[in-house]
Amino acid sequence: MNDIQSGAPAGAPPDARVHAFDHLRALAMLAGVLFHAGLAYSPLLHPWWPTADRQHAPVVDTLLWLSHLVRMPLFFLVAGYFAALVQQRRGIGGLARQRVRRILLPLLVAWPLVHWGTGAATTWAAGAVEHPAPMLRMIAEWMAMPDAPSLPPTTGHLWFLYYLLLFGVLHWAGRALELGGLLRRWLDRGMLAVALCLPGLLWPGFALAPAPHPAPESLLPQFWAIGVYGPFYALGVALHGRLDALATLRRWLPAGALLCLLAYAIFLLQLEAGLTLANAAWSTALLEAMVAGWGTLGCLACGLRWLAQPRAWLGYLARSAYWSYIVHLPLLFAIQYALMDLEWPWAAKFATAVVTTLALCLLSYEALVRRTPLRRWVG
Amino acid sequence: MKLAMNIPLIRLLVIKDWQLFQKPLAAHVLAGLFALGLLGLARPWAFYLGSLLLIVVLVAGSCFAVSTSLLEERKQQTLAFVMSLPVSPLDFTVAKLAGGLLTFGVPFMVLLLGTVVVILSTPLPDGLLVYSLLIYGHVLLAYCISLAVAMQVQSEGWNIFAMIASNLLVNPLIMLLGQIDAISVPARGEDIVWSLPAVAILSAQLLLSLCTLAFTAWWHGRKAAFY
Repeated sequence: MNDIQSGAPAGAPPDARVHAFDHLRALAMLAGVLFHAGLAYSPLLHPWWPTADRQHAPVVDTLLWLSHLVRMPLFFLVAGYFAALVQQRRGIGGLARQRVRRILLPLLVAWPLVHWGTGAATTWAAGAVEHPAPMLRMIAEWMAMPDAPSLPPTTGHLWFLYYLLLFGVLHWAGRALELGGLLRRWLDRGMLAVALCLPGLLWPGFALAPAPHPAPESLLPQFWAIGVYGPFYALGVALHGRLDALATLRRWLPAGALLCLLAYAIFLLQLEAGLTLANAAWSTALLEAMVAGWGTLGCLACGLRWLAQPRAWLGYLARSAYWSYIVHLPLLFAIQYALMDLEWPWAAKFATAVVTTLALCLLSYEALVRRTPLRRWVG
Repeated sequence: MKLAMNIPLIRLLVIKDWQLFQKPLAAHVLAGLFALGLLGLARPWAFYLGSLLLIVVLVAGSCFAVSTSLLEERKQQTLAFVMSLPVSPLDFTVAKLAGGLLTFGVPFMVLLLGTVVVILSTPLPDGLLVYSLLIYGHVLLAYCISLAVAMQVQSEGWNIFAMIASNLLVNPLIMLLGQIDAISVPARGEDIVWSLPAVAILSAQLLLSLCTLAFTAWWHGRKAAFY
């Protein structure tokens, strides 16, 4: 049995590990693999995604953007919680050292390797695939140009590490400026008040980005990304030691889920006009903010309810999720490029891509990380 | 000159300076990140606003570092307490110089690296890098001069004058750089050109900064007593 109020096992000390958070983080990162694999079969993203397949289905868009609006907010909320936990145990200096070891160094090492791997797969596909995606065709034409301008460097799918570092700096600044009281007072108003005002906090951030929001891959801090993910990180920090506050959310879960799905349905209708690079309309941004805010809190409440017990397979996924997420994209791209010319239905290609990518990620985790010193950094 | 120093106590004094400077430092880092974010929007209005804010943050950072570390402590008679500790004037000088360099150096390096990233990863011309580094070089020199004056001169008025004068000289420097074709013309292009005037100015800035700090350390280190 677990203590539903705190999410920790019954009888455990107050600072005992909350397994639900480990499990939620792992599931959020693995949802990222499914999301990136699904993008290849999204009608909305067909013109923009390099592995976009000839086979695509509207149902993919229906499912995809919901996970997109929730998984990274959930990840940052959990990250904020763990950052506060580390700070409580080891102090702000210990948190800084942990960020360097677990985030900065993996980012610096993985970034060129992932960039090279994804680039190599795309270069191969640009010459070998007979039915390329519009974006892949454009990349092939661009590569054929004699004086092709080089693109500015980006963090790619490792942007979340960059933002974790940035939020680490903001965390320290907030602590130095004694802003923790603001967070505490926010939470003191009750979780229902937090849930109601969260979309309002997220709204400007979503309005500063196109809808659905892209990955903030630029090397510069993007205001919209700080505005969207920052409140979740801050909420995670505030929730440390205060998980009991989440108990009230459970009563509101069915109503919240219904509202969330309703907002998401209207959001999908607005997306039917197609994808543009212009910033989202304020109404669209508000819908995104509602889905992201309430959806994330709903996932958190569900996680604390149903994922609080230590489970071997979830524990294994939690330990391997970081490595898997870092290495999955080059592997996924290579596999999806290889599948592009096959006449399979999209669902079969999607399943093959996901299963093969995850298998390779877990095999490489077993071989390279689990029993080696690398686990200190990415295990 | 006796060179035996009380390293553990120097370390504690530096940590003390660092901890006292946390709040202003955090505010500077936040403002600096905001300025870099504005620069990253790569729009003309955001570039002007961001670069202006960045210079304000750098100058304010340098003034706050000197003020917190030396001027405020002087007002609060902290030196009288420090004299009761087992430290020599050399220990105190080294601690003040190291503490000052740390409290100024951290935000300075963060913003310097951020600026390099902004210039190299946005549509801003890469040639702007040399121009920007010369401005950073001036801020470093202004800080070293302000720190040296603060360690030497008791008068608050002269210290404020030294801080304002040395930092305000960034304006004529920007104008001067604009007049030198070997610096201003490449700043609008995509190539990073280290012309002779640019190298000479940056070298002079770094050398003068180093000499100012070295002279200050030598001057205070040779004292047998605090007064």
